[in-house]
Amino acid sequence: MAVDITLLFRASVKTVKTRNKALGVAVGGGPEGSRDELFRRSPRPKGDFSSRAREVISHIGKLRDFLLEHRKDYINAYSHVMSEYGRMTDAERDQIDQDAQIFMRTCSEAIQQLRTEAHKDIHSQQVKEHRTAVLDFIEDYLKRVCKLYSEQRAIRVKRVVDKKRLSKLEPEPKTKTKESASEKVSPNTSQDPEEKPAAAEFPEKPLSEAQTELGTWGDGKGEDELSPEEIQMFEQENQRLIGEMNSLFDEVRQIEGKVVEISRLQEIFTEKVLQQETEIDSIHQLVVGATENIKEGNEDIREAIKNNAGFRVWILFFLVMCSFSLLFLDWYDS
Amino acid sequence: MVGSKMAATASIRERQTVALKRMLNFNVPHVKNSTGEPVWKVLIYDRFGQDIISPLLSVKELRDMGITLHLLLHSDRDPIPDVPAVYFVMPTEENIDRMCQDLRNQLYESYYLNFISAISRSKLEDIANAALSASAVTQVAKVFDQYLNFITLEDDMFVLCNQNKELVSYRAINRPDITDTEMEVVMDTIVDSLFCFFVTLGAVPIVRCPRGTAAEMVAVKLDKKLRENLRDARNSLFTGDTLGAGQLSFQRPLLVLVDRNVDLATPLHHTWTYQALVHDVLDFHLNRVNLEESAGVENSPAGARPKRKNKKSYDLTPVDKFWQKHKGSPFPEVAESVQQELESYRAQEGEVKRLKSVMGLEGEDEGAISMLSDNTAKLTSAVSSLPELLEKKRLIDLHTNVATAVLEHIKARKLDVYFEYEEKIMSKTTLDKSLLDIIADPDAGTPEDKMRLFLIYYISTQQAPSEADLEQYKKALTDAGCNLNPLQYIKQWKAFAKMASTPASYGNTTTKPMGLLSRVMNTGSQFVMEGVKNLVLKQQNLPVTRILDNLMEMKSNPETDDYRYFDPKMLRGNDSSVPRNKNPFQEAIVFVVGGGNYIEYQNLVDYVKAKQGKHVLYGCSELFNAAQFIKQLSQLGQK
Repeated sequence: MAVDITLLFRASVKTVKTRNKALGVAVGGGPEGSRDELFRRSPRPKGDFSSRAREVISHIGKLRDFLLEHRKDYINAYSHVMSEYGRMTDAERDQIDQDAQIFMRTCSEAIQQLRTEAHKDIHSQQVKEHRTAVLDFIEDYLKRVCKLYSEQRAIRVKRVVDKKRLSKLEPEPKTKTKESASEKVSPNTSQDPEEKPAAAEFPEKPLSEAQTELGTWGDGKGEDELSPEEIQMFEQENQRLIGEMNSLFDEVRQIEGKVVEISRLQEIFTEKVLQQETEIDSIHQLVVGATENIKEGNEDIREAIKNNAGFRVWILFFLVMCSFSLLFLDWYDS
Repeated sequence: MVGSKMAATASIRERQTVALKRMLNFNVPHVKNSTGEPVWKVLIYDRFGQDIISPLLSVKELRDMGITLHLLLHSDRDPIPDVPAVYFVMPTEENIDRMCQDLRNQLYESYYLNFISAISRSKLEDIANAALSASAVTQVAKVFDQYLNFITLEDDMFVLCNQNKELVSYRAINRPDITDTEMEVVMDTIVDSLFCFFVTLGAVPIVRCPRGTAAEMVAVKLDKKLRENLRDARNSLFTGDTLGAGQLSFQRPLLVLVDRNVDLATPLHHTWTYQALVHDVLDFHLNRVNLEESAGVENSPAGARPKRKNKKSYDLTPVDKFWQKHKGSPFPEVAESVQQELESYRAQEGEVKRLKSVMGLEGEDEGAISMLSDNTAKLTSAVSSLPELLEKKRLIDLHTNVATAVLEHIKARKLDVYFEYEEKIMSKTTLDKSLLDIIADPDAGTPEDKMRLFLIYYISTQQAPSEADLEQYKKALTDAGCNLNPLQYIKQWKAFAKMASTPASYGNTTTKPMGLLSRVMNTGSQFVMEGVKNLVLKQQNLPVTRILDNLMEMKSNPETDDYRYFDPKMLRGNDSSVPRNKNPFQEAIVFVVGGGNYIEYQNLVDYVKAKQGKHVLYGCSELFNAAQFIKQLSQLGQK
């Protein structure tokens, strides 16, 4: 395999140095050499471009570290069953999402800026190519880090949707229990959340709250003003309203999940469409050129037909004239 | 190191690729990290480095490794500040001069120097001198000897060089007027590359070679070099991790060094397998084939501009699954497979299109959110499978073009007739058409083809044809327009070979032209194969394969019994003709000094497929097709 001869190289450098000293050749080695080196190093233009590029990279690195750090808490979610330590509320998650988005936007703007500035004042083709490639690398890095973020997000949304779907199965058995006396309702529903640890807190809470409220209300006012039928009617209406709200809520969540997926697809499509744009432009040019050529061709053909016809007319005329002249000469001669 | 963890039979291509990637990663083992920061660098190579890198890494892979620019050493290069530069060059005088110039001009920020084969101490001091004078010593970050002086074309095939082919060509080795010093130079080049090869492979082989040939010289030198390196315990390249991989197999590989002179007929042979045909008929080297496409074959009306011929070049890489599967199959099979691939591609395309219409219908059904989710899933899967489909289409196009070009050549030159005839000659079955008829036939092949046919006949007959016959043949050949110089050389060779040993026999083979029925069945295919017989190849063993078989299986055979035996690991340096190891070898490397070609390679691959658990690598000092070989022979014959 490969052999590291760097040490050998350094040793050769020393040998050459000593040899040069021995020969008395001033080759820029010796004490001036080190000073020269220092001097030579500092005025070397550090490269505005590369230092800025490195800055952008370090920013993206910070974003990546931030995302990775909170990733576990972000995904490891929801359960109040799990320990308190790793929990993250939804508000915190939204905050993370927002921060990440702002960060990404600033980074991509910085890259765009670098791109426009990169080609100023540079005359060498190779340096231009190099800088374009460097910017491509940075963009690619940013994309990879954004992928981290979007993966997290997609997982989160998917989980919520799945939970919705699971919780949707519950309403039928629950409505049956509501028929029973209101006092029974609250202890039942408060047990339900603990039975299904995967169920979301949100729909359960309003449900249980509403039912407890209903229970207390029913307790407070029941015998005085409302008859049992009216109580039942109100209860049913409440159930209905709650059900409607829940289904609307579910739909909204589902749509959100779908929209995330669709946005991903959109990204892919826009990429492809942009790629095709250049091809379509060139095809357009070709087609325009082709129509021009065809028009010219038509003109030429028309001319040719005309010439042909004209030619024929002249030939006929010539023949007729010749025959008339023959006749005339014949008549003249006889 | 990654090498020790790979299986002992990791292909040489993988090893070389891993070594290259490690070098590009500043000689730190390369780890794929999806969220790693980008590092950018510039790659500078000379022509040797280019030949080594181009079959192994594509431009995209270079980009993935962070290479922004790759430039030739001897081109005009502009200073690019703040960028580390990785050099991959041969340690020749001019390269070193150019590198010193770069150091003086301070083109890049830091320099990682990698030499393809070992650099001598004096040249290293030259660089040190230049670095000192440019005060750039700290900029030279690392210097490495990579020991990668060979070109790997396939998983199990390698070539020594492409740039200085003439130096080690068959002609150079077999010239009558070669001096000792020149021979030494040639041998040193070959041995250096073979040494690098074994360092990369990580194993010390047991060497067998025939006596009295150039191969023997190579074997002696290689043995000496390996021995020196092993004795030098401090710097040995075969200790540590590298040896781990070799020791896992508990056996050392066998290196069989043969000389081209053992079998001159095979390079001239007309062939019928896909890869060998492409090499023979089209412009194919370093896994790249260059086609000249004419834009159309219709008669252009008078006055119109003549159609331009586009030149297209395709890379035939290991990623190309079709190529990997079919490079050894006979040509008609290839044509059929291309058809099949095309149909399956069209079916998949149709499915994707159908999906579009299905989606259109279902989109009208509102309120069915669950159905929508299935649609999005289907759409995502269709979109993600699109790149695969496009890639498949590209490959199918590529192979269609290449196969069409080959087919045109076959039809124009009637190569199938030649192939059949030569097979018959080489297997000594009766010939139904006389040789003279084929030579005299004006529209069967180029003069070169006829020359090849005649040379094969001449080489493989037991007794030379009589003078009168020979005169007849010569007259027929000159009528057909051939140059007779190769014949001169072959005559000399044959006389020499007869003195040395019995001429090699080629084994039995029969070819069965497939009947009329199958020809009719094939007319449905896009490739019009009428008139091209479907020849089925029967398994036959070329001389090189037979030699390998004897040596690997320890069979006793008068041909190979008096081969010399070298073991660099043995303490005492004398060679004994008695091999110490009585077990059959599991791994072997066949190296042909003087040039090789794809026909032998394919034959070895077929041989290995028949045997389970054996692993054979094929190498040659240069790769030529029949046309180039004829040129060399005629140059030799002229002298």
